Amino acid sequence: MPKCLVCYKWTLDEQDIRVNPDDLSLDTSRAKAKISDFDRNAIEEATLIVEKHGGSVNALSYGTPDVKQSLKDVLSRGPEKVYWIAQSGAQTSDAYVTANVLAAAIRKLGQYDLILCGEGSSDEFNRQTPVRLAALLGLPCVTYVEKLSVEGDTIKATRRVADCSEVATVKGPVVISVLNQINKPRIPTLKQVLGAAKKPNEEIKIADLGLKPESLQPKSARKSVKGFVTKRKKIVYKEANAAANVAKLASSLAAEGLC
Amino acid sequence: MKFELTEEQGLIQQSARDFAKEFLDPVAADLDRTGEFPTAIVKELAKHDFLGLHLPADAGGAAAGFVSYIAAIEALSRSCSAVASIVNNQAMSSYAIYHWGSADLKKKYVAPLIKGEIIGAFAVYEHGPTPGIGPDALTATKQDGGYVLKGTKAYVRNAGVANVYVVFAITDPADPKALTGFVVDATAPGLKVGPKHSTMGLKGCPVADVVFENVAVPEGAVLGTVKKGREIVTRTLALASIAEGAQTVGIGQTAVEHAAGHARERVQFGKPVGTFQAVQTLLAESKTDCYLARLALFNAAQLVEDGKPFETEAAMLKSFLARLGSKILLDTCQVEGGMGYSETMPIPRLFRDIAGTNLLDAPADFPDGVIAASIN
Repeated sequence: MPKCLVCYKWTLDEQDIRVNPDDLSLDTSRAKAKISDFDRNAIEEATLIVEKHGGSVNALSYGTPDVKQSLKDVLSRGPEKVYWIAQSGAQTSDAYVTANVLAAAIRKLGQYDLILCGEGSSDEFNRQTPVRLAALLGLPCVTYVEKLSVEGDTIKATRRVADCSEVATVKGPVVISVLNQINKPRIPTLKQVLGAAKKPNEEIKIADLGLKPESLQPKSARKSVKGFVTKRKKIVYKEANAAANVAKLASSLAAEGLC
Repeated sequence: MKFELTEEQGLIQQSARDFAKEFLDPVAADLDRTGEFPTAIVKELAKHDFLGLHLPADAGGAAAGFVSYIAAIEALSRSCSAVASIVNNQAMSSYAIYHWGSADLKKKYVAPLIKGEIIGAFAVYEHGPTPGIGPDALTATKQDGGYVLKGTKAYVRNAGVANVYVVFAITDPADPKALTGFVVDATAPGLKVGPKHSTMGLKGCPVADVVFENVAVPEGAVLGTVKKGREIVTRTLALASIAEGAQTVGIGQTAVEHAAGHARERVQFGKPVGTFQAVQTLLAESKTDCYLARLALFNAAQLVEDGKPFETEAAMLKSFLARLGSKILLDTCQVEGGMGYSETMPIPRLFRDIAGTNLLDAPADFPDGVIAASIN
């Protein structure tokens, strides 16, 4: 019976983020937070595995003190217990720092057969944390997984790669990152939502992880973030006939290097 | 004072929105077109605990409280108010049976209503000016071991699909204002459902007259105390009117968001129409109306949850929304112009649904009497 751990990120809901038309800066003042989309798939997959084979699912998250708002949400989706690490300023953490913190916490928690992550986060989608985490823990890593099955102590994972699928078999402990095609996350029933308050959560203090200060220093820094807005050139071709208009269009596209 | 949902209430609201996006958005337009009762969706609603949301755990409910119920109804209504109306009618039946029914009635009906195994209907209205008065008023005549029901209930929602009807009848012809509640199985001999009314809106929620032709019911079918049924009607309809307020706010919110999206996208004279002051005024007033209505809505819901008197606040909400609900739809339709008028857009359906929400169960002028009575 697999012992599963799901790592998730508490992130802003991109649907609530507004782009300021004047300077393309992002207004997040009214944005609600949510569990990152692919991480919901990871939580669902771990829950499905345990519903089918038995075992257990715990969840783990690292973020700003706002991460505490995620606890009931994640517990309503299946995990029996959630561990959380809050650090002021964690919004500047890159995948290097995040993986260091998560790996240290997992070493502290003990061994898991299956460590599941979303392939990338909804906000930055760097797709680095799962592989960095596996490297730090010295575990195999299977990425881009769209189908997963557990057969005894063997895990069979179907990977979506560029133009084909690839099947990998691996024995735990292993880190697996999943795509959103793998399942459809459940909508928690209202009794599950209310029952989440009765499930345990435990804070892990970052100071107790034994990390060196340099492990908490991001390797990359975000200078600025701007919204992407499609700007139309609004060119109207007014040639004498359709063929001439098409020729003009083709030459314009060629000038842009588009054909 | 803090006007904010608790964490659990917020999660329930989010679950309801997620449910609505997954199950209701894809079918809302079809339900409006066909008027078919969404049996499969009702099963899903039960599976996700929405049908027992308001009832305590000992009844098999989720015990989430009335504020959560209202938050869920608003969230469902943003996608399909017809389904929210079905939930509300189911809740009225189960609420009345749970609070006033005998142990046998509760055992027989409450859990199946919560699980969606049966559908309930709450039948109050008649073709006369008020229940109990009119040529075809429902009467209950005492006979050995029970009562015989005769008469017609009008505009009953969930009629035809309901397995159980909560109805109110005169047991004393000399006192037609004193109604008695009964719980009647849909299979009772003599109970007939009339043709389905072709309604303007809320089309997935069927409406029909229910005819009682000498329907014999046992003594145990009485809900609460004989001649004390008006108390059940008043309280249940007052609670339902808050839920209908939630439906109206949900519909209005969707209309505002859709019209705002249109105003951003639609370009005229080289600029999005949302940059024009006339359009901004329509959207700003509609958003303001939704905002103020939502404050009144959740204040009324909190009063219910706190066990405080809420009837006047519920009536004021109903009265406010009766005036402004349709205005929001008129204004948002105006923002969308000819496109908004088209049946390919959601505004016409929302328009019909908001009319149905405001008209059914309590006519728009009814709450004013309650409000006036509260003014010394």
